[in-house]
Amino acid sequence: MSDPRASGRPHRDSWLPSAMVRSVLGLAQPPARRSLPGLVAGTVSAASAVALLACSAWLITRAAEMPPILFLGLAVVGVRAFALSRAAFRYLERLLSHDAAFRQLGALRLGIFARLVPLAPAGLSGTRRGDLLTRLVRDVDELQDFPLRVVQPLLTSGIVAILSVVGVWLVLPAAGLTLALCLVVAAVVGTLLTGLLSARSERALAPLRGALADEVLEVVENLDVLTAFGALESRLDNLRVVEEKLRLAALRTSTGAGVQAAVISLCAGAATVLALTTAIPALGSGGFSGPALAVVVLIPMAVFEVFAMIPPAISAWRRVRSSAERVQSVVPEQIPAEIPTELATGNALVDTSAPVSAVLPAAGAVLELTGLGARWPGADRAALSGVTMRLTAGDRVHLAGASGAGKTTLAQTLVRFLDYTGSYRINGVEARELAPSDVRQVVGLCEQRPWLFDDTVRQNLLFARDTATDDDLLNVLARVGLTDWMNSRGGLDARVGERGALVSGGQAQRIALARALLADFPVLIVDEPTANVDTGLGDTLVRDILSASADAGRAVLLISHTPVPTELITRTYTLTAGSGLQADPTPEEALVP
Amino acid sequence: MRPLDPRLLKHASAARWFLVAGAVLGLAQTLTVVAFSWFLSQSITLAVRGDSLESLRGTVAALAGVVVVRAVLVWMLDVAAHRGAAAVKSQLRTAVMHRLAERGPNWLAGQQDARIATTVTSGLDALDNYFSRYLPQLLLTAIATPILVLVMLWQDPASGITVIIVLPLIPVFMILIGQATQGVQRAQWDALQRLSAGFLDVVGGLATLKIYGRERRQTERLGSLTEEYRGRTMKVLRVSFLSGFVLELAGSLSVALIAVSIGLRLVDGSLLLGVGLFVLLLAPEAFLPVRQVGVHFHAAADGLAAAEEVFAILDADEPSRLDASGDRVGGVRTASALPVVGQPVVGQPAVDLPRADRPGGGALSFEGVTIRRGDSTVIDRLSATFTAGRLSVLRGPSGVGKSTLIGALQAFVPFDGTIRLDGVTVPTDDRRDWLAWSGQRAGLFSGSIAGNVALGSSVTDDSLVVTALRLAGAADLEPTLRLGVNGAGLSGGQAQRVAAARAIYRCLALDCRVLVLDEPSSALDTDAENALIDGLASLAGQGRIVIVVSHRPAFVAAADHVVHLNEVAHV
Repeated sequence: MSDPRASGRPHRDSWLPSAMVRSVLGLAQPPARRSLPGLVAGTVSAASAVALLACSAWLITRAAEMPPILFLGLAVVGVRAFALSRAAFRYLERLLSHDAAFRQLGALRLGIFARLVPLAPAGLSGTRRGDLLTRLVRDVDELQDFPLRVVQPLLTSGIVAILSVVGVWLVLPAAGLTLALCLVVAAVVGTLLTGLLSARSERALAPLRGALADEVLEVVENLDVLTAFGALESRLDNLRVVEEKLRLAALRTSTGAGVQAAVISLCAGAATVLALTTAIPALGSGGFSGPALAVVVLIPMAVFEVFAMIPPAISAWRRVRSSAERVQSVVPEQIPAEIPTELATGNALVDTSAPVSAVLPAAGAVLELTGLGARWPGADRAALSGVTMRLTAGDRVHLAGASGAGKTTLAQTLVRFLDYTGSYRINGVEARELAPSDVRQVVGLCEQRPWLFDDTVRQNLLFARDTATDDDLLNVLARVGLTDWMNSRGGLDARVGERGALVSGGQAQRIALARALLADFPVLIVDEPTANVDTGLGDTLVRDILSASADAGRAVLLISHTPVPTELITRTYTLTAGSGLQADPTPEEALVP
Repeated sequence: MRPLDPRLLKHASAARWFLVAGAVLGLAQTLTVVAFSWFLSQSITLAVRGDSLESLRGTVAALAGVVVVRAVLVWMLDVAAHRGAAAVKSQLRTAVMHRLAERGPNWLAGQQDARIATTVTSGLDALDNYFSRYLPQLLLTAIATPILVLVMLWQDPASGITVIIVLPLIPVFMILIGQATQGVQRAQWDALQRLSAGFLDVVGGLATLKIYGRERRQTERLGSLTEEYRGRTMKVLRVSFLSGFVLELAGSLSVALIAVSIGLRLVDGSLLLGVGLFVLLLAPEAFLPVRQVGVHFHAAADGLAAAEEVFAILDADEPSRLDASGDRVGGVRTASALPVVGQPVVGQPAVDLPRADRPGGGALSFEGVTIRRGDSTVIDRLSATFTAGRLSVLRGPSGVGKSTLIGALQAFVPFDGTIRLDGVTVPTDDRRDWLAWSGQRAGLFSGSIAGNVALGSSVTDDSLVVTALRLAGAADLEPTLRLGVNGAGLSGGQAQRVAAARAIYRCLALDCRVLVLDEPSSALDTDAENALIDGLASLAGQGRIVIVVSHRPAFVAAADHVVHLNEVAHV
């Protein structure tokens, strides 16, 4: 199901996609050597359909002249052969083109993924809402339709239409011209006119559909509130008004709906009638006989049946194009300046398992921030500025501040998801000089919404350190206070569900912490661990996190807008938004410049 | 999937109307097909016999006329289908929304509300294809095919019989192939969903993967998974595309059979050219609707799947909210009738801070209240009293049923036992003017903050809005500020304060006896929380019963009275 709000997007009339959208479509289109076999089979099948009717018409009209039956032998064979080849090649076409499209699907997903990697997560903030991300994945899937339902039918029907026109033209040039004329009119009027009509109806309907979706969503999601406040009836009345507007608009635009089919039907009929009127006077001249007349008059019917593939292909094209546009808008080829790129090649898929530069030790790192600032892509002002702070091994620092003060921005900057202004030194080396992936081997992050992969607890831990034994995993789970939970779920093979649906917010945080402890980052940032945890469990969670991660060789930066037990931390900084965005130490703690 | 779901006709009268209109138009279309074939075959036959265009003028003109009429009918059928779809969607939507309102929040809580919202809006839009592509072809199959077969039988019995023999083979083969591949196809569909979900999982967790330097490894995994999927899918497609093959083959082969048989009979003079051509032109038309039904089957299935979800909501015969517990008679059940499970002591007042009672008597008392969800007991014989003039805090471990208890107070959740306000049993219907409430979710709407705060009152009292915002610690929020859908534009803490102000506004405007706030400060900083506490204390000071569900130390410290809800022990 699609996002109910997504239909609000206005429809664009331009026919040709931009170069950037074309590059997305290019990922979906299989190379010629793979798409050609399907195209050939499709063309043979469609041509067979035309030939079947032409051959049958010739056979019958010729037979009526009562020639010796031998003269009909070839036509009889032809009729049977075309009937078989039409069905057989259609079957082949579907197999070959699907195979090519599926082969391309892997390349398509990888291509999109490769573009996402350098952007994530700061460059994808537009997709942070779960449904938008789902939409992106669905859009990528939708792109498969480009070779299958757009390119293939358009090429097949185009080629067969041209072949048929040439064939008729060879028999009777005038009839060939009238057929070509009718096809062109059907193509131009049928596609352009209906394109305009559907764009017009989309313009009228899309905002109403969007408004209705918003109304429905608000009523359904807040049914308890509306009922409790006695406001349900009036909201339902509102909804009825919007609904009625949409219904009336849909009725108004419905007159444009059948125009395309009607135009094609009219053109098909016109082609037949015109063929009759040109062929009948020509009968008897230049060897143009009765059977030839039947062929010339009946071919247009068969051609227009093949032509019927075009309208669905055009509407598939509209769908695929808007999917490609959405994908393009989410994953631009140009990486915004606010996002640091990998140093080596600029390609994020470069092997990151290369040894970390000698300046980055395995433990005991020192982070120094001086006048640090950062900005999100597309934002017109900095989300963070003038932050000065020092973190050394053994520190357990609480970063406080109201929401919107830039706490998460700081976390994302420290793991180099966001670029920075000012200075950020790791053991004296400017982070800018290091590959972001190398920085992330020193500075780890437990995100505000930890992402658990739809797999077992074991797999969710192992990817942090794939050499860990089951004992290591059980140990680390014990440290984060999950032993009882783990046992009640049946051990390490317990599944966490899609997006961690089977675990609570607190358990997810604990698993994420266990993962980070396994990876043994010298510097660990924990971002708002209690944000999605039932109030009341939050305090225990914060305590457990701080005691589990405390280590003489590790620096911990805990981001939390709620108070933290002072005995478990060594310092508190408060980040304030507004005037200059300054990180201040609490009075009793000195700021180390 | 049934070709035509009778529930569609039951719930949407517009669907019935469309079926009638479609049948009439379908019949007319079939007649134009017969007429077109007739005039065309006559024109060719007479021309071959030697008639000039001049003498054939009438026949060709009639043919042209039929072409125009046919195009108009095609257009009308499409228009009717679109109008039908719009009307049916509208009817189903209205019905669902009313049903939801009837069912109430407690029923809805068991559903995925985002999914329902999607089904009711864009999900139902899939019915467009069902109406514009599938249903007309289904009608034509029922109307056109028999008529065309009859005409063929009448004109040339041999050809008619050929069609009659081949036509039933199509559904038979399709069913056979469908059965052979059904299990595999479902497995394949599931695999496709899993693959797509797997991609989603990897993309969603990309930041996490980067933190652990694992993004490259995922690339390899994605590639191999997709390739493996392709191999398995193609094996299945080889079989399932056979159904399309059978459709095509049956259509084209019977045209070939008829053409050859007509040709041979024309040679020996047992058939006339006019009849032969006429039948040849009709034969593919007899197969066309069936083929189209097959082609549009999947588009139709999407629409019907959405309709199916709608019917599930409309037809679910669960009675409306309060009778759900079934055995609740007269609102009271004796506690002794309940089986004793584990520790019976639940809902004891744990802390009672000594503080002078404020003016204004009365109390809200829960007497042996028991709430069940399915087979499990959420609240077991709770007895507790909340006195007027005091700020009471209800606390307990998460999941213990605090919000459920509030739901019972609101008459959203069925319960056993009695809840009395000032000695009178509280109503369990829609009369809630004694109660003002805000939930754990802010639940705001698009519109101004003032409009949100004054929800449910016909006139917005601007000065009362300001007062309510101030008491909720939200004096900094501008009442005229416009919010987006679901209150978009406010931070979590701001939304929470607006929701609290909304409850306070109602409390003041309707002079409610009871004000209940469920976790009103979970997203608030200390200053805002203190402002809210002061506001609530002053409301309690006016002699109201103020109950706050909260774990926050500040609230517990400020409370006049704390009720601790313990977990129900399960055997």
